[in-house]
Amino acid sequence: MPKLRAFWVRLSGFFAGRSNEGDLDPELESHIEMHTEDGIRAGLTPEDARRQAVIRLGGVEQTRQAVRERRGLPWLESFLRDVAYGLRTLGKHRVATAAAILSIGLGVGANATIFSMVSRFVLRPAPMGDPATLLTLHTTHDGDECCNNFPYPVYADIRDQAKSFSGVAAYNELIPASISGRGEPERVWGQAVTSNFFTVTQLPMLLGRGFVSGEENAQAIVLGAGLWRRRFDSDPLIAGKTISLSGRAYTVVGVVSPAFHGVDQILFTEFWVPLGNAPVLAPNLPKPSDRGQHYLVVVARLNPGVTRQSASAELHTLAARFATNYPATDKGIGFVFEQAGSLPPRERNAVLSFFAALSVVVLMVLSIAGANVANLLFAQAAGRQRDMAVRLALGATRGRLRRQMLFESTLLGLGGGILGVLLSLWSTSGLSRFRLPAPVPLDVSIGVDWRVLLYSFALSLASGLLLGLAPAWAASRPLLANALKGEDALARPGRRFILRNILVVAQIAMSVVLLCVTGLFLRSLQSASTINIGFRTDNILMMSVDPIVHGYTPQRTADFMMQLRERVAGLPGVLSAVATDTAPLSGGGRSDGFRIPGSPDSPNSWITTELFMATPGYFESLGIPRIAGGDFGSESATGPRVGIVNQAFVDQVLRGRNPIGAQVSGAGVEFRIIGVVGNVKSRTIGEETRPILYRSLQQTVASDPSFIGYTLMVHTAGNPSSVAQAVRRQIYNLDPSMAIYNEETMEEHIRAAFFLPHIAAALFGTFGFIGLVLAAVGLYGVMSYAVSRRTREIGIRMALGAKPGMVERLILSQGLALTLIGVALGWPAAWMLSRLASTFLYGIQPHDVFTFAVVPPFLIAIALVACWIPARRAASIDPMKALRTE
Amino acid sequence: MGEKPDVWQGTLALMVLRTLETLGPLHGYGMARRIEQTSGDQLQLNYGTLYPALLKLEQEGFIRSHWGVSENNRRAKFYELTKAGQRQVKKAAADWEQATEILARFLSPAEEA
Repeated sequence: MPKLRAFWVRLSGFFAGRSNEGDLDPELESHIEMHTEDGIRAGLTPEDARRQAVIRLGGVEQTRQAVRERRGLPWLESFLRDVAYGLRTLGKHRVATAAAILSIGLGVGANATIFSMVSRFVLRPAPMGDPATLLTLHTTHDGDECCNNFPYPVYADIRDQAKSFSGVAAYNELIPASISGRGEPERVWGQAVTSNFFTVTQLPMLLGRGFVSGEENAQAIVLGAGLWRRRFDSDPLIAGKTISLSGRAYTVVGVVSPAFHGVDQILFTEFWVPLGNAPVLAPNLPKPSDRGQHYLVVVARLNPGVTRQSASAELHTLAARFATNYPATDKGIGFVFEQAGSLPPRERNAVLSFFAALSVVVLMVLSIAGANVANLLFAQAAGRQRDMAVRLALGATRGRLRRQMLFESTLLGLGGGILGVLLSLWSTSGLSRFRLPAPVPLDVSIGVDWRVLLYSFALSLASGLLLGLAPAWAASRPLLANALKGEDALARPGRRFILRNILVVAQIAMSVVLLCVTGLFLRSLQSASTINIGFRTDNILMMSVDPIVHGYTPQRTADFMMQLRERVAGLPGVLSAVATDTAPLSGGGRSDGFRIPGSPDSPNSWITTELFMATPGYFESLGIPRIAGGDFGSESATGPRVGIVNQAFVDQVLRGRNPIGAQVSGAGVEFRIIGVVGNVKSRTIGEETRPILYRSLQQTVASDPSFIGYTLMVHTAGNPSSVAQAVRRQIYNLDPSMAIYNEETMEEHIRAAFFLPHIAAALFGTFGFIGLVLAAVGLYGVMSYAVSRRTREIGIRMALGAKPGMVERLILSQGLALTLIGVALGWPAAWMLSRLASTFLYGIQPHDVFTFAVVPPFLIAIALVACWIPARRAASIDPMKALRTE
Repeated sequence: MGEKPDVWQGTLALMVLRTLETLGPLHGYGMARRIEQTSGDQLQLNYGTLYPALLKLEQEGFIRSHWGVSENNRRAKFYELTKAGQRQVKKAAADWEQATEILARFLSPAEEA
């Protein structure tokens, strides 16, 4: 405590400044006078006595200084003096300072952007109570890859038998519903949870409460904060009120905290209902008693003091017991878990390797930027050697000078860091606008959080210090004699700024790697955009409705879709209106194994086939060519099932047999094939062409309805957006409470499907461009400096008869040599590293010949331009002036 | 250096506190003389070092100061112990006694192996 108190007193002394010298002078004066008097009394002359007194005091000025240092905080004073001096120096070299801050800013900004993704997807814990002890459980099966959800009975057994957990909850990840409230009805996604879900997750509530035991089947609902704000005007008294969910009355019991959208932090869900309600809201869910259907996600809270190892061991024991008791379903079952809210184990490796590749790239950008700044600081140090020498000669210590230089580079680093954070604010909000091609709502927004800020701060501080080290060391050791004479004092005999050349070579080598990676992703985007997706992308408007969540019977759903299509087709500007369950290229959909009935039964005979629903006219509207056979007509819902297949289905399932009239089985039914159409991309643009079987929407609406609603596709004569209003009106005319969602044109939909190649090309393109510009600037800077240093030498050469062309070549060849060394080092590195990127490339090889052939000459050309400007300057040196600069 | 030992780091504060405890309010010069006397003139005290030490003790709240008149009718700044200072003397003295006692055991001739 006394220490702290003293610090405060001194700090205030520091801020009071010179005015707070106190009453030391009179005190010292009285001290000396008393001492003098004693001396006189002892027999000294007054002069001797006073002299003696001052000597014993150790000098008045020295004492004053010692007290002054004690009064304020000397280290703080000298620190602030260094900062002020540093700012002044940086202010004097505005251009160099701006260039340095911009370089570091770009580097830090790129790193902060990528780190914000890492922070969001890898580091951020779920917004629930004590996230470290909340686990998400998965089932595994012998020989299977990780992982699967839980059947209800297995969940119940774990809940009742596992001693490691204080609570185990389960939920159904996605339940669609339409919800009442302000404005037009809206379709939203929610989750059905066991009644202990809110207790186990310790979810903070904004309002009201979560579910309690006994509410397993209650018509109760917990709202997400966004939904509550959007549809219920943030009604503070909503708890206890009744709202309508898919046409049923539910009592609101609470509102969750705004940060929560689901345990896994990827799905964006907005309401929670007790699990007992799930079958009503989502009709085709498995029965809770079925031990073979895996459809529940399970979260468990570790008991205090129980380690993950012992929990894992207990689950292992339970798995063995289940396998014995229920051999039919549980043979080979196992359990794994991770902390709730972490990346799902199946995607974990792919996501981590994507981030790793990006991190390598952005660290390279920062290194290139750093090399630039280091070179700049070197040039500055060379310009200031005289100043340094004078200060050394006047008695400044080298340590003090070094500290001064380090201060300056640290200030540059921090300045760059601030710029970098600003840049990353902009870039993360831009990246968050990318839409993922998925039929369900995802939350993949990223932003700058405290982890990103901390990381950026550490990164800019480290780069500032690191960059300043070498120049500070060099600048604090000028050859005094040379410097004071005004000659170069940093260039020691036999050394020709090797370090600066190494930096440039390293920059160029890294640029080669960056450019090759960038080239690969640009080529990948180019090749992706030439992929033939197989259907029309222009003049199509899409809108989705889900009559089932509005309580429609299958027959009513079929009638509704039929009437809607007829009415919309009659609108002016509309050529045709068809319906399907999922638009192609939605990222996922229904699929099942198909084969020819009676073919030998082996696991390989089932060919995975994509399932789409279609109405008559679907293929014409989407411009999918008909290869053989006919279209759907007015099939009866109960009549024999018919299907239309694509060419890939004919090739892979029918193996060249005559398709028309052929019988195939899959999805538990037999289909008679009535037509063959052209191939289309079904899920993602990067996929190998998959077999597709189109089913009649009419024939599936009762037996196998769409879980994610039905999409109306309107083929228009002109701009599809212009008929949107009219189409909406037709839907509301049929049912004013029908929620409309996923309204978009096919062009918008396709743009979302190009998400991955677009985002990769955008990221790598930006980073590659930044790296290239930085490296070119770096080379230019080094060559300019070389020319300015060799002005006299060049003057002598020209005085002795060298032609401007020869001088130009001299400089160019020096720059070219550095470039060639850099390319020779970087190219093989790029060749080896490109394999990392292979998973993310569309239609090109990681060792794409074009990219690897074009990058080196391109880079050399850029380097030549960067060297040519200083070379021209060298050639235009006037020998007379150059020699007279002495 | 001279024959007389310098004042050890950190001990000056204790000497000042102890002097003030015994003699009551005292000015800087008086304190310097008193410390020299008490040490039996064995310490070489640079009087100037006393003033930063006094300032430090004052900042830490162990002593306070006011201007007064000396025995020879001279204006001088007097220092005296605060409550915290009185506690600090006890504590620091006890600490030192313990430390010197321990050290003394090392320095005294070995009694047995």
